[in-house]
Amino acid sequence: MLAALAAEVGDFVRPPIDWHAAAPELTLLAFGVLLTLMDIVWLERGRKWAPALASIGLLATMVPIITLAVDGADRSMFGGAFVVDKYALIMKAVFILAGYIVVLISSNYISEGDYWENEYYGLLLSSILGMILMASARDLITIFIALELLSIPAYMLATWRKRDLKSNEAGLKYYLMGVFASAILLYGMSLLYGASGTTLLVDLNESISASDSPSAIVVMGIIFVIVGFAFKVSAVPFHTWAPDTYEGAPTPVTAFLSVASKAAGFVALMNMLFVGFIGRDDVYEPMIFALAAVSMTVGNLIALRQTNIVRMLAYSGVAQAGYMLAPLAVASDVPDSALAATVSYLVIYAVMNLGAFAVVIAVARKTRSAEIDDYRGLFHYAPGLTVAMTIFLFALAGIPPLGGWWAKFRIMGAVIEANTVSGVVLGVFVAVNSVIALYYYARIGAKMWADEAPDGDLTPVRVPASLKSALVLTVAATIVFGVLPGLVGDVTKVSLLAGVGG
Amino acid sequence: MTSLLASETAAVSFPVLTAMVLTPFLGALLLLVLPNNRPEYFKQVAFLVSALTAAMTAWVMVEFDKAHAATFQFVDQYEWIETLGISWALGLDGISLWLVVLTGALFPIVILAIDAEHSPKPYYAWILVLEAGCMGVFLALDLFAFFVFFEIVLVPMYFLIGQWGHGERAYAATKFFIYTMMGSALMLVGIISTAVITANTTGNDLTFGLIELAESQALGQTAARWIFLSFALAFAVKVPIFPLHTWLPDAHTNAPTAGSVILAGVMLKLGTYGFLRFGIYLFPEAAVYFAPFLVALGTIGILYGAIAATMQRDLKRLVAYSSVAHLGFIVIGTFALNTEGIEGGLLQMVNHGVSTGALFLLVGMIYERRHTREISKLGGLQKPAPMLAGVFMVVMLSSIGLPGLNGFVGEFLTLIGAFAAHRWWAVVAASGVIIAALYLLWAYQRVFHGPAEGDNATMPDLTVREGLTMVPFLVAIVFMGVYPKPVLERMEPAVDALVAHVETHVEDFDEPVADIAHHVELEDLADLGTDTHGEEDGEHG
Amino acid sequence: MSDYLRSYLTVGIFGLVGVALVGVFLGLGRILRPDHPNLAKNEAYESGVEPTGDMWSQANIRYYVFALLFVMFDVEAVFIFPWAARLEAYEVFGLIEMAIFIFILLLGLIYAWRKGVLKWV
Repeated sequence: MLAALAAEVGDFVRPPIDWHAAAPELTLLAFGVLLTLMDIVWLERGRKWAPALASIGLLATMVPIITLAVDGADRSMFGGAFVVDKYALIMKAVFILAGYIVVLISSNYISEGDYWENEYYGLLLSSILGMILMASARDLITIFIALELLSIPAYMLATWRKRDLKSNEAGLKYYLMGVFASAILLYGMSLLYGASGTTLLVDLNESISASDSPSAIVVMGIIFVIVGFAFKVSAVPFHTWAPDTYEGAPTPVTAFLSVASKAAGFVALMNMLFVGFIGRDDVYEPMIFALAAVSMTVGNLIALRQTNIVRMLAYSGVAQAGYMLAPLAVASDVPDSALAATVSYLVIYAVMNLGAFAVVIAVARKTRSAEIDDYRGLFHYAPGLTVAMTIFLFALAGIPPLGGWWAKFRIMGAVIEANTVSGVVLGVFVAVNSVIALYYYARIGAKMWADEAPDGDLTPVRVPASLKSALVLTVAATIVFGVLPGLVGDVTKVSLLAGVGG
Repeated sequence: MTSLLASETAAVSFPVLTAMVLTPFLGALLLLVLPNNRPEYFKQVAFLVSALTAAMTAWVMVEFDKAHAATFQFVDQYEWIETLGISWALGLDGISLWLVVLTGALFPIVILAIDAEHSPKPYYAWILVLEAGCMGVFLALDLFAFFVFFEIVLVPMYFLIGQWGHGERAYAATKFFIYTMMGSALMLVGIISTAVITANTTGNDLTFGLIELAESQALGQTAARWIFLSFALAFAVKVPIFPLHTWLPDAHTNAPTAGSVILAGVMLKLGTYGFLRFGIYLFPEAAVYFAPFLVALGTIGILYGAIAATMQRDLKRLVAYSSVAHLGFIVIGTFALNTEGIEGGLLQMVNHGVSTGALFLLVGMIYERRHTREISKLGGLQKPAPMLAGVFMVVMLSSIGLPGLNGFVGEFLTLIGAFAAHRWWAVVAASGVIIAALYLLWAYQRVFHGPAEGDNATMPDLTVREGLTMVPFLVAIVFMGVYPKPVLERMEPAVDALVAHVETHVEDFDEPVADIAHHVELEDLADLGTDTHGEEDGEHG
Repeated sequence: MSDYLRSYLTVGIFGLVGVALVGVFLGLGRILRPDHPNLAKNEAYESGVEPTGDMWSQANIRYYVFALLFVMFDVEAVFIFPWAARLEAYEVFGLIEMAIFIFILLLGLIYAWRKGVLKWV
């Protein structure tokens, strides 16, 4: 066997490496190493520098992303397994900026609690590293590695409040469900590899869409892969971990999971669907249709009954995942619109959801609670936070002229543009659901604005500077995306993201 | 913002319509940055901003070219989201002109007449946002922009009711929000479908421009009917048409006075205007198909609203239900689909804005003095407050439709139109006029006549400021009742064009014309108000 | 039934067969095997050593950390072997790259050492 291997070695040439294309990942990795080094050298004395170093690392990673964007050329490495195109760059930027905001909202939360701080930021960076790798991954193995790289640190982050039972529950549930999903995903991938003999998505698509009707093994492979990612994006019926995990995890981590981790799941799903499965729309489209319709409806209906704002945001996140899945159900009819719609939604969802969590963290600094009833009369002692929260909630509900509205408009545009019955049905689903959703968002609004503060306690909430800047950033972005959606409309004008190097 | 939106094709002249939408909005932003230590400035700034908007409205009204009232004038068009064919397009024709004028005039009065009960800064800011939104709805010539404005107006009203309302305000605010959102959610599906199907059929680029979509008429019959329904649901909730009206009494009763006045004066027209501008214009065939159904609902609404109003014990609720009845008239006029009916409906929109707006203001003044709106607790107010009683009387008579006042002209035209199109429904609807006289006169009698006891006896009369704010209403009521010609002649070409549009695009549809309409030319109608009561018999009979 | 639905049927059948197989083998085992339990037979077998104490006793958590560190370098070897097989093709570049790789893993070990994980408390 070794002899056979040796025979192949003869004509082996080292694959060329495009350092520019890999620069974002390498930069982030370097800063992760730097963070660990700092910890090794200074131990606890490095604590106060950790968030600063992490944010510098994230911002430094933006530099190669921007230069790549300015350069504009599509790049491909490792035979097409790693691709840098416009879509990948946009998603990388989203992950980095979301990570930056998470650092901003974490810094006081983590430093004031009795937590390991250096490790927190180190894990955060490695999770983000997995995400930006995912944006470029066009190969089953690369996708899986990226998925594990982003998930494993997240399991640990979810249990960060380790003396708190709920946090332990959160981490354990997330971990068990996560590895279960990974196992299913891996099984699906192995079936697909077995059927096609390749791990490269482009070749996979060619192979599985060659015949008129799919073989059973391909059907199973596709279904298992989609189920695996459905866990990650918390689509019904694979959403059960989300509310408990979100509630128990430290709130900044919850924000991270509900935005970045979910976005990463979607990126992976889109890579699979648009590059790997696009020729087999007869298999995945009915499934995505069902997932989308059920997710938005069930998510919204359960969200109606929540009394805890984090759980409510968790279920609303389930519903939002349904919206984002909707265009994927018409991916083969209008691939460009569908992709642009989901990417637009991801970008805007990241902004508004992070903002909402930032407010939750700020309010909890005073009330020490996330019960919706504790938001009564918020306007009377924290008008600024109330305005911000109202903007985020209304954006999530899709009220113009805020960002969420544009996102929803894109989704509807894509599903209706498909001009199929299932597309229009999904459009109606989205419409009806946005009304249901409005109820629970507006209810919080009414509590904050119309009610009196409990116990008449009107001491103001002190918002630390980093949290404040996170809020300013997210509010501004939420409004700009709504008023001048041309901005996000242009940056998401991405086409089918096939591996250019094939 | 304008500079960012503007493209090379920007109009050379001053973009007055854009300014009319953006001025109140920027005014709201200005309010937010004003320092908190001088609260009296908030009201003054808000008034100045709305007065500035009103001045622009007045300028537009004067400059409006009535010879070309059927075409859109002062058009502002800028690219907004180029890739999807969405533009910031505003324009004004004979149909929207008076609603814009109404909006421009009503807001300064409301701001001047009513003080914020608390937190003046957000209060006036929300009112200004509301003004911007209403202006936008009436001016939008792009379906996307229209929908944005149509949704935006919900937000300030939600907060006005929720934060400055009375009683079950959180409940009323949420109910209002959900109801109207429920209607408009499906309209978004309809809007996108219209644009997409049109682009697919004609092979042109995707566009949301109203005129392009309406003129191409590329939708198939079935699709058009379904999409019309999705629009109709949104507008029907907003009007509101029976049986979708249940949010209205709650919203009105619990809203602050300013909220009620604006709700009745301007916001209810968003629905009826939507039917005209979007429902009929975009989907003429579907409008003709569903017209009998909507006329029937309108008639039911007239009777139901009138009967329900009769039974109310709360003065504000009574006025709210009378709105349901009045809007029923507008609906049957609109869906008579002839010039008289539509024009009557349009005039009635303005009339209702003036008279019901004034009624809500007056009820608010009574509430401010007596802290109750229970009709049974009021009585004999005429003695301590003769001015208030007198003004109330005139406004109420206008609402009843007394000849010589504005309500009569509108109702009369509406009924002529409806009579030509759906004779028996019109006959039934006419009985609503009688019930209106019954409940309003009865309410007036209970509130203002009889002996004044307790607090009622010492109730102060109108202050000078309050009296002055009522003057514009009275002037409008009398002027439009006596000499409606300037108003009507600016509407007529646009309405004629709309009816002609329906006739061209719908086979075997001819404008329903009754014999009576042959004799009564519109020039005669213009002088109707000055005539003797001869016409009145014809109508009430 | 369309071809398309038929392939879903295959998935269903596959699942059913999977469940059935497990049931059949466990059931068969139960039916076929002789069943004469006694004390000695029920005892856990531990390389001929007499078991003592409760079998649900916890393993010392400290073993776990060492196991983890061991696995880290175990996996490292998986990467080093194929690299070594093609070292010539990779030349100096490959050498540096592997050095960085090992450095990062070593960093983990140093980290563990600095944090006092390696001390057997």
